[in-house]
Amino acid sequence: MAKSLSVRNIIKRYGGVVALSDGNLDVRTKEVVALIGANGSGKSTMSKVINGVVVLDGGQLLLDDKPVHISSPQSAKNMGIATVFQELSLIPQMTVAENIWLTREPMTAFGTVNRKAIKDKTEQLLSLFRGTYKTDLHPDDPVASLPPDEKQIIEILKAINLDPWMVILDEATASLDGRQVQRLFELIGDWKEAGKAVVFVSHRMEEIFRIADKYSVLRNGKTVGAGKMKDINEKELVKLMIEKESVFTFTRGETKANEKPIYLEIKDLRTDTLHGVSFRVREGELVGIGGLRGQGQRDLLLSLFGDVPYSGTVKIFGNESKFKHPREAMKKGVALVPGDRAREGLLYIRSILENLQLPSWAQYGFPLRIGKAKKDAEQAGASLNLKMAGLGEPVSSLSGGNAQKVVLGKWLMRKPRLLLLDDPTKGVDVGTKAEFYALLTQLCNEGKTILFYSSTDEELVGLCDRVLVVHDGIIRTELSGASLTKENLIAASLGTSKGGAL
Amino acid sequence: MKRFIISPPVAALILAIVLFLLSGFLPNSYGSDVKVAIAQATNIVRLAVFLGVIAAGQTLVIISGFEGIDLSAGSIVTLTAILTYVMVKGEDNMVLLALLVSLVAGAIIGLLNGAGITFLKISPFVMTLGMAGMVTGAIIVINHGNVSGKVAPIMTELIARPLVFGIPGAIIIWLIFGVLIWLLLERTTFGKNLFAIGVNRVTAKLSGVNVTGTNLATYSLAGALAGFGGFLVVGNTGVVLIQLGQPFLFPSIAAVAVGGTLLSGGKGSYWGTMAGAIVLTLITSLLTTMQMPDSVRRMVLGATLLILISIYGRQQALRQ
Amino acid sequence: MKKRVTWDFLMARYPAFFPLILLVLSIAINLFLQPNMLDRETLNSNMRVFLPLILLAVGQAIVLLGGGIDISVGGVVSIVNTILATRVGLDGSPEKMWQFVLISLLAGALAGAINGFFIAYLRLQPIITTYATSFLYAGLALFILPNPGGGIPADISNLYRTSTPLGLPLAFYVIAILLLIWVYVSSTRYGKYLFAVGGKAEAAYETAVPVTLVQFGIYVISGFMAALAGIAITMLSGSGNAEIGGQMTLNSITAVVIGGNAFSGGIGGVAGPIMGAVTLSLIQNIISFARINTWWETLVKATIIVVALAAPGVINLIRRRRA
Repeated sequence: MAKSLSVRNIIKRYGGVVALSDGNLDVRTKEVVALIGANGSGKSTMSKVINGVVVLDGGQLLLDDKPVHISSPQSAKNMGIATVFQELSLIPQMTVAENIWLTREPMTAFGTVNRKAIKDKTEQLLSLFRGTYKTDLHPDDPVASLPPDEKQIIEILKAINLDPWMVILDEATASLDGRQVQRLFELIGDWKEAGKAVVFVSHRMEEIFRIADKYSVLRNGKTVGAGKMKDINEKELVKLMIEKESVFTFTRGETKANEKPIYLEIKDLRTDTLHGVSFRVREGELVGIGGLRGQGQRDLLLSLFGDVPYSGTVKIFGNESKFKHPREAMKKGVALVPGDRAREGLLYIRSILENLQLPSWAQYGFPLRIGKAKKDAEQAGASLNLKMAGLGEPVSSLSGGNAQKVVLGKWLMRKPRLLLLDDPTKGVDVGTKAEFYALLTQLCNEGKTILFYSSTDEELVGLCDRVLVVHDGIIRTELSGASLTKENLIAASLGTSKGGAL
Repeated sequence: MKRFIISPPVAALILAIVLFLLSGFLPNSYGSDVKVAIAQATNIVRLAVFLGVIAAGQTLVIISGFEGIDLSAGSIVTLTAILTYVMVKGEDNMVLLALLVSLVAGAIIGLLNGAGITFLKISPFVMTLGMAGMVTGAIIVINHGNVSGKVAPIMTELIARPLVFGIPGAIIIWLIFGVLIWLLLERTTFGKNLFAIGVNRVTAKLSGVNVTGTNLATYSLAGALAGFGGFLVVGNTGVVLIQLGQPFLFPSIAAVAVGGTLLSGGKGSYWGTMAGAIVLTLITSLLTTMQMPDSVRRMVLGATLLILISIYGRQQALRQ
Repeated sequence: MKKRVTWDFLMARYPAFFPLILLVLSIAINLFLQPNMLDRETLNSNMRVFLPLILLAVGQAIVLLGGGIDISVGGVVSIVNTILATRVGLDGSPEKMWQFVLISLLAGALAGAINGFFIAYLRLQPIITTYATSFLYAGLALFILPNPGGGIPADISNLYRTSTPLGLPLAFYVIAILLLIWVYVSSTRYGKYLFAVGGKAEAAYETAVPVTLVQFGIYVISGFMAALAGIAITMLSGSGNAEIGGQMTLNSITAVVIGGNAFSGGIGGVAGPIMGAVTLSLIQNIISFARINTWWETLVKATIIVVALAAPGVINLIRRRRA
């Protein structure tokens, strides 16, 4: 068993984008190191570098103070490093047991896999999380049929089954519920005692303070601080993560929302992940949706936009509407900024102009008046302070914040009445975030209605009139005014109802 | 993806010119006679027209992404050639009707392709390959081995003979056609939507694009364009054969690849395909001049496509 | 959230279920039209004709399982046929025959390796790459044998045509051997690699499965099986024809799809495609027996293929509508 891994001055580029410019980390046995950073800080890249999934552009890795090259996931495995990723490394078509044991199956004398041994050992592994499963989990279940939290648990079991000396948990608690997180932390305690090292990549303060011994903070690709958890508090950690003390000392001022008419009325909305959601939104309100990711928030926004089928009633200004396609929603003045801009919001290889005008070409006639389209796009870009080399450049040339401005811009150009936002500041730099907050507030003052999901608690607290916290497919709590605090938000997100009315 | 210093259509054109100049060294070639050279060059371009038109539909479906391809193009060409031949029977005033029938027949077959691909989720390769078999089967049924018909004089005039300034009518038709396709791709909402679905169907849908409709329309259009190609081909040759369209199929795909249209979709142009069609016609005619048998032609075409996709078609590595 | 025992689940665990039903149906219909079908003579005669497609389907099945597709198999069949027909000739010696059988197998593996190189190492798309090589290989076959002719010694093809070891057609033994090999290999660690790579290659890569090697290997196997098919068909026809592989590619894909293997990879086996190949061949038999007008035969056969390829899609569509 190795004793330590040091990561020194790592540089990693993806094309033109620098993910890490000076990444550092020290991992030792019997310790849990929290690798902390905001979205886009380079945390995931760091764990990919250690796991051998990507090539280093600079810097070095030292195993027990000796330089090593981790050139593939196989070499990471050979060095005793196991990683549990967000992007699951499970084969959907294969069973739980097959996935856990892939490449390491116990064999029979004939050279075939020993089915009985696999089944028994898998049962043993599954029992580590017994009591926290929502359904009956068997070794022969195909992974594709499992819910996200169980898939994550299988990932964890698969990693620990390698008996590594170092385990990297990359946002592994994102899909787990409270009980499962608790059990995981108990297991981490056992691992520490057995002499393992754990890297806990996360941005959830509460969990970090529960489990970590040491911390290491990444900001914009650079490691800006490291030390012992007992020597630091949350405020200082946040300060390290972002440049200013808090961007969220953002005051919204008084809102006169209670006088406006009801714009959106939702009754008993049900989808695969939503189990009956009802609420009302007035014109000009900035309503936040909170809760841990994956509780149904995405489905809520997508069904309002016409991309996900649902049952239940949705009324806009009292008129019932059921959009079957985003086009219909667009016609009624609804717009959606999706959660994953690379996969859902942008056409990466096309130009900025084409991205901005994608929903709107029809209004430019036949043949398309490209000149006018360019002018309108330029105006939109200017009003958002978009920094680009030119409209003809591919959108892939933009930084995260500017790319997100393009996604937002393509909708704002259409002057929507209802704006649905799925984590709009994810992967966006701090300066742009501030611009976004000002923009959203201004839009509300102009009479637009905004429904906005964020995984960052401070944003919800600082920006929103009300926050609806979603947990397990229903609205667990509604927080507003005095009850809209971070503590209440977190409590509600985890499913414990402390304060706030339902 | 590597970034190119010269755009692929221009590269293709340069390649064509280089090949043509090199061909001057062959026996039976133009040697140093400029007049003959121009005549030969014009002839090459005129021959390339038919491949170019047939490759237009191919360009559209490849841009639409999702491994789009149309392997039924060859058999559609044969079908509409026969339909035109049989309907026209040498009468000038039937020509317009025959053209219409060709377009509609092609569009229907294309629509069936599109339906299978979009609603039944059959891979475009497999669907259009299967359809090609069905169309060929239908041709045999219609045909019973022999057809009687005749091409109208006006068709031969327009297509085969020189029209303006000694430029063959076919080339003029192709230029107009090229402009129309350019208009379609770059100056219509449909064209913008087509590129969008070729890049990312999720983004397209979430931006209001009717992905299903665009997909269906693309395959229909591709079928209609192949139908137009068949009409032109029979106007040029004056005769029909059961394998009339087949020799155009593989080169049509190669032409699109040479022209730099990404085989993964979302990026490309018809100008590139036109340049590609010229390159491919040049290669084929060079091989004929060198008296190479059909087998060598096939091998060279196969190797050419292979080389092209090795340059333009590399996908993401497992490790970045 | 409840776990659903869905059609997907059933099809994934028992992929050979559906093709078995189809096979039984086709046998029944065939038996009706040709009552002596199960007689030793007729059975043997039929199975010999079916064997090349069966071999091709097995190779194609493995490629599809691994997440790829091989359009060039028909070309390889043609190359092998033309090599044997020209090099061995009608008056060749048995030693020469076996010599060139060996060379053919190597040629098939080489053709597959070329595909594998472009796809696994240069990371080109399988469909367009094997389409390009299909032309290359078909051209090569035509180059070797521009006009139909040549052949193999009559005694060897007679041997193939008449041999019935222990009273069962030779084909049965071949199928049995293939199935045994498959059952063994699919229970080894390496067999699991195939399913992993075909199921989700990125996930397999992160799990340290040698993805590139697997992706390379499936094409070598496909080329090898295509060579075997080429040998079988040469022994069947006894003569050479460069176009002989032409139609076989689409048939092999159809057989695998009928056989229950997912087009996207990771699901299925080898038994299903074998049944699919037999079913497809029986259907073609049925068409010949039903005495359809010659003019309609091509259309009918082509339609059957399209229907077979469309069937999984139609079933899925109906299920989705119901959900």
